[in-house]
Amino acid sequence: MTSVAGSLGTASAVRFTPGRATLVLGGLLVLLLLAFVASLALGEYPVQLARAFAEPGSPDGRVLFGLRIPRAVLGALVGASLAASGSALQALLRNPLADSFVLGVSGGAALGATLALALGLQALAAPSVFAFVGAVAAMALVLAAGRARSSPYAALLTGVVFNAFAAAIITCIKTLLTPDRLGEVLYWLAGSLGYERPRTLILGGVLQLVALGLLWAASARLNLLSLGDDEAASLGVPVRRTRAIVLVATSLSVAGAVALAGLIGFVGLIVPHLLRLWLGPDQRLLVPASALGGAAFLVLADAATRVLFPVFHSEPPVGVVTAVLGGPLFVWLLNRGEHPA
Amino acid sequence: MIPALLSLVLLGAGADPGPLRMLGPAPEGEVRRVVTLTPSLTDVVLALGAGDRLVGVSRFDERAEVKQLPRVGGFVDPSVEAVLALHPELVLAEPGPGNRQAVERMAELGAPVLLLPLGTVSDVLAAERAAGKALGRAREGEALARELEATRVRIRERSRSRQPVRVLLVYGFDPLVVAGPGGFADELLSDAGALNVAADAASPYPVYSVERALRSRPELILDAAMTPGGRDRLRELPGLAEARWASVPGQALLHPGPALGRGLEQLFALVHPEAGR
Repeated sequence: MTSVAGSLGTASAVRFTPGRATLVLGGLLVLLLLAFVASLALGEYPVQLARAFAEPGSPDGRVLFGLRIPRAVLGALVGASLAASGSALQALLRNPLADSFVLGVSGGAALGATLALALGLQALAAPSVFAFVGAVAAMALVLAAGRARSSPYAALLTGVVFNAFAAAIITCIKTLLTPDRLGEVLYWLAGSLGYERPRTLILGGVLQLVALGLLWAASARLNLLSLGDDEAASLGVPVRRTRAIVLVATSLSVAGAVALAGLIGFVGLIVPHLLRLWLGPDQRLLVPASALGGAAFLVLADAATRVLFPVFHSEPPVGVVTAVLGGPLFVWLLNRGEHPA
Repeated sequence: MIPALLSLVLLGAGADPGPLRMLGPAPEGEVRRVVTLTPSLTDVVLALGAGDRLVGVSRFDERAEVKQLPRVGGFVDPSVEAVLALHPELVLAEPGPGNRQAVERMAELGAPVLLLPLGTVSDVLAAERAAGKALGRAREGEALARELEATRVRIRERSRSRQPVRVLLVYGFDPLVVAGPGGFADELLSDAGALNVAADAASPYPVYSVERALRSRPELILDAAMTPGGRDRLRELPGLAEARWASVPGQALLHPGPALGRGLEQLFALVHPEAGR
């Protein structure tokens, strides 16, 4: 096992041992905590953190506990989901361009939320519920279409085609919408972190723990799968079952993330690639490291939107910030001479 | 399935934004710090003579009286923190699905929020009265509402003896966005003795078919567009070229607020130029 994982790595890869994994993940956890603290300190309302913690009932305390902490928690959940799923999907589909949205999840979620907004449904967080249902339905469709063929490309291609199809329907709905409704749809599609209730966050947290736990548990088999189906099977990996577990876990995780935050691009692409440069391609390390790194990245990107408020008189959607940071970073990674896969 | 979904979208496009209501704690004593989340509600506060109490407005507010005030975001993206940082004693907002979460959170964190729908003329009347009451200026609010009601009665009276004019009120040319049924513009058109040719559309601000516009043979095209893009192309089309074209002055017909009375008078003068003042 160790020799296989070692042969996957590049020269700079961190060889997996429990001790090293603890060190790497501990370091990333510290980074996430720093991002969290920075995020709590930044915003339009002048919060004195010491006073807020001392008196949770004071205005400072209510802004901290009612706004900033829930939003940072949401950012961490969504970032962890997108980055860890991206990492797992890149390995599973053996495609460096795969990101968390590639399996039709983004199209399904966007179509669901657009419908809910277009219909003017407000009760029970309808856009989120519709987005989740849309994402899960799209996932089921893509998996069913991919079942007939054993190649991972069937799921990939079905997902890409479904996303294009959903985009066309969304465009059609957008042309039929009135300008005020259109603004809401565009804002949702750009991806932004709002203020969710504690029970929604707990529900989302449980979903992510289960889904990302499944991914981590499957990560050793994912390493072998990235050698090719036949090689993995000859090494004793149940190929179909592993693939199904990873596809379902990533899709549920991303569906949960998209339902709460809309379509936030680039996190699932840039964070795993950045970490792979440092850690090598061992998924046992890369999946949890991407979760922590993605959480830190999105928490910071969201804090940046609050810092940008005085510039635009509006918080730009966090999806815009991740894209503006992620695009150039990705090109830079590619041009470092190392293949990001 | 898709056509069914699309027709649902069209039906839902005019969905009710919900009633006028108060969220969060009730304002204590006299309200001195007011934040508005849409320019129309800024107009209401100014018309009530309470402009000096405004401490924050939306990023779409353009009036000179509020130029110096801090901005707290837009209709779909008000910043909860920016609003709370101004310590408002009353937030005036137009409800919509896009700002629902933010507005509810402001209220939970202690900002009294008055939600005032502004879709129809009766919404505007109710908003003027409710805002007046909330600001301790009930008499002024009542007067504003009465004034608009009186203007409507007077203009309707003047229109009654006149031949209705077929009108298309245009908010944008590319794409063609017009005043459809169910909104304050449609009601004022009817007051002014106009027949809204887009009354068959699905919502108050529909994206309208150009060919449908041609076929509806408007006698008067009212141009309330903010940008001229696409106007010239439309002006040459048969059915539209023969119509009389007129620009709607100012923003009186764009902002559902105290300016509606003036807007209605302008509208009547445009629809029936022969009537004089």
